[in-house]
Amino acid sequence: MANTAPKPVRRSLGDLSEGTLGTLMLLPTAFLLCLIVVYPVGRLVYISLFDWRMNLPNAVPQFIGFEHYIYALTDDPKFWEAVYNTVLITVITVPGALVVGLGLALLANLPFKHRWPTRLALLLPWALPLVFAGLIFRWFFNYDYGLVNDILARFGIGKVLWGTEPNLAFATICLVIIWKSSSFMAMILLAGLQTIPRNLYEAARVDGATPWQCFWKITLPMLMPSIVVALVFRTITAIQTFDIPYAMTGGGPGGTTETLAMYIHKTTIDFLDFGYGSALAMLMFLVSLVATVVYLRIIQGDKE
Amino acid sequence: MMLRRTFVHAATAAAVVAPLALAALPAAAQQTTLRVFIGGQQRPDVMRPLMDLFQQQNPGVRVEIEVGGATSEAQQQYLTTVLTSRDPAIDVMLIDVIRPAQFAAAGWAEPLDPFLGGTPRATLLRRYLPGYADAVVVDNKLVSLPAFADAMFLYYRTDLLAKYNLQPPKTWEETVAHAKRILAGENNPNLQGLNFQGAPIEGTNCTFLIPFWQLGGNLVGANNRVTVNNDAGRGAFQFWLDAMRVHRVSPPNSAEVRTDDTRLQFQNGNVAMAVLWSYGWNLFQSEQSQVRGRVGVVPLPTFQGRQSATCIGGWQWAVSSFSRNKPQAAALVQFLAGGVGSKHLAINASNLPVLPELYRDPDVLRANPWFEQALPVVITARSRPVTPRYPEVSEIIRTNVNGVIAGTKTPQAALTEMESRLQRVMR
Repeated sequence: MANTAPKPVRRSLGDLSEGTLGTLMLLPTAFLLCLIVVYPVGRLVYISLFDWRMNLPNAVPQFIGFEHYIYALTDDPKFWEAVYNTVLITVITVPGALVVGLGLALLANLPFKHRWPTRLALLLPWALPLVFAGLIFRWFFNYDYGLVNDILARFGIGKVLWGTEPNLAFATICLVIIWKSSSFMAMILLAGLQTIPRNLYEAARVDGATPWQCFWKITLPMLMPSIVVALVFRTITAIQTFDIPYAMTGGGPGGTTETLAMYIHKTTIDFLDFGYGSALAMLMFLVSLVATVVYLRIIQGDKE
Repeated sequence: MMLRRTFVHAATAAAVVAPLALAALPAAAQQTTLRVFIGGQQRPDVMRPLMDLFQQQNPGVRVEIEVGGATSEAQQQYLTTVLTSRDPAIDVMLIDVIRPAQFAAAGWAEPLDPFLGGTPRATLLRRYLPGYADAVVVDNKLVSLPAFADAMFLYYRTDLLAKYNLQPPKTWEETVAHAKRILAGENNPNLQGLNFQGAPIEGTNCTFLIPFWQLGGNLVGANNRVTVNNDAGRGAFQFWLDAMRVHRVSPPNSAEVRTDDTRLQFQNGNVAMAVLWSYGWNLFQSEQSQVRGRVGVVPLPTFQGRQSATCIGGWQWAVSSFSRNKPQAAALVQFLAGGVGSKHLAINASNLPVLPELYRDPDVLRANPWFEQALPVVITARSRPVTPRYPEVSEIIRTNVNGVIAGTKTPQAALTEMESRLQRVMR
């Protein structure tokens, strides 16, 4: 009986079942993801449960559970002001950038002879670093030396307090964000527009459709997948808005343009309060997560 | 066994030779490079010759200047990043007078006591102005050495005041009256009567604290009790609001004005009177200035029948705890904080000296005639709250002051918020 025992099998990689092989090949990616996503997020959650101050490196971090979260949600007016500003910026600039970006994309898609100037104009705002955009527009809207007030003065209109009047400061920030982000929108939408077959339009025209009807019945429905993708990316970056208000107003006047990302930066980098800063970052992460889930639902709903 | 013995021999040999080699090196080619961090506002062009002088006196040492942000907060942000990551790249840093408590608590500044070469600390510090000598000792450790003093003053245009037969103002009431008179007479829409800082920056804290103190306010009392929601707080806000809206002598965009905006506007001839730190003087007298030879400086006015008060400013030299060249860095700091350094900065950057005898020095007075009046101001200037959590204190005050100046908050709402949030930080 003993000599009928099977020989020890030496398997080569080729003999692995497809599932095992697949798992093996996913391991490096999974490891990398753990390193750059799972570990930092886990660490963030961990730190957010402590009273952890980097400006007192010798003090032992105290475990305080969810105290930071409770304080932020129930007792910190600065947090709610920052959330309000962030939501307002998102609600204004995401649709704003979509409309402007769609217009730009349609323009760039027109059969001009020389399309490159339009496309270059599309790319330039996108290629400009955010902080530079903020600083440039800060000078545009400067009270004493700004271009905008100078132009207004030529039309006999008095100087406008762009940076002091909170609604104007907020409006200028939204304007710059829309200007800056609509080119990104336009590029994604332009790619979408180019996949729409020309013959659809030709057929519609034969049937006597107006350009307006073509836009509503062909362009928009065919472009929907691109629009949703662009909206997902744009919304998440809008929730994280930091650079432009930071460079333009520094959160002023009186905190009326301070976004959640700026408040996190202030808490973590200026105050070195890593515990509370981490809790605030977790809350922002949750907001981004909710927004993404909502969009994903919309996409899936579309497919069914 | 054999192997171990060989190893022990080698180790012993190395232990004996190594210190010798190290000792021999500095004399030969060993160069120590010290990296000094200063802000763009602290005149790197003026600092460089001082570093060159130190290099001449210490042939083994090379000094590099690293220039960072142009505001106290921007510099602090950069230093915070370097120091919390324990980066040894920076050896010496210039820190704002409001920072030593935080640097001491965080262990970022190397205590200088062991590097004084036998001189007792008390003897060393006796040379300096008392307020600045006190500010550098935290928890009985010498955290830094004074670099230069500063305070807020009132700058005025001598030509404009003379044109309307006005004397430099001693009270705020006079200041506002003068400004109204000049604006009415000049009828120039670009001219501002009284410029001050209201942007959300460090200097804006002083914009509030100065009239607050003058009206009898005291931010932090016994047992760290914060008292700001009172008549002095309301009066301080009302003064600036009236200057902008009722008397219309301060620009309507004061909530956007940062320290250097005031300097630029004054230098371009657009301001009759301005509240500013001492560094403006030297630049107002420079080639590019539109107001050269037409500038006067006086101690800040106060309210009728009130004590004068101003904000203490100034900067200090500290050695990073993470420096790898602490003895050399400490030597550089002592050189910079000594008579030569202080005098050089006084003459070339109009930085107020930290050594009292320099206020009588003929060379210094030739460059800055008004320093003669500045000594009593610097001696009596008051400190902003001293706490390791100063960045939070500063943010609470400046954001609220900025909100009131911009009109987004009522003085009462700002004072209520300041008192409750400050109390949380100061407890």
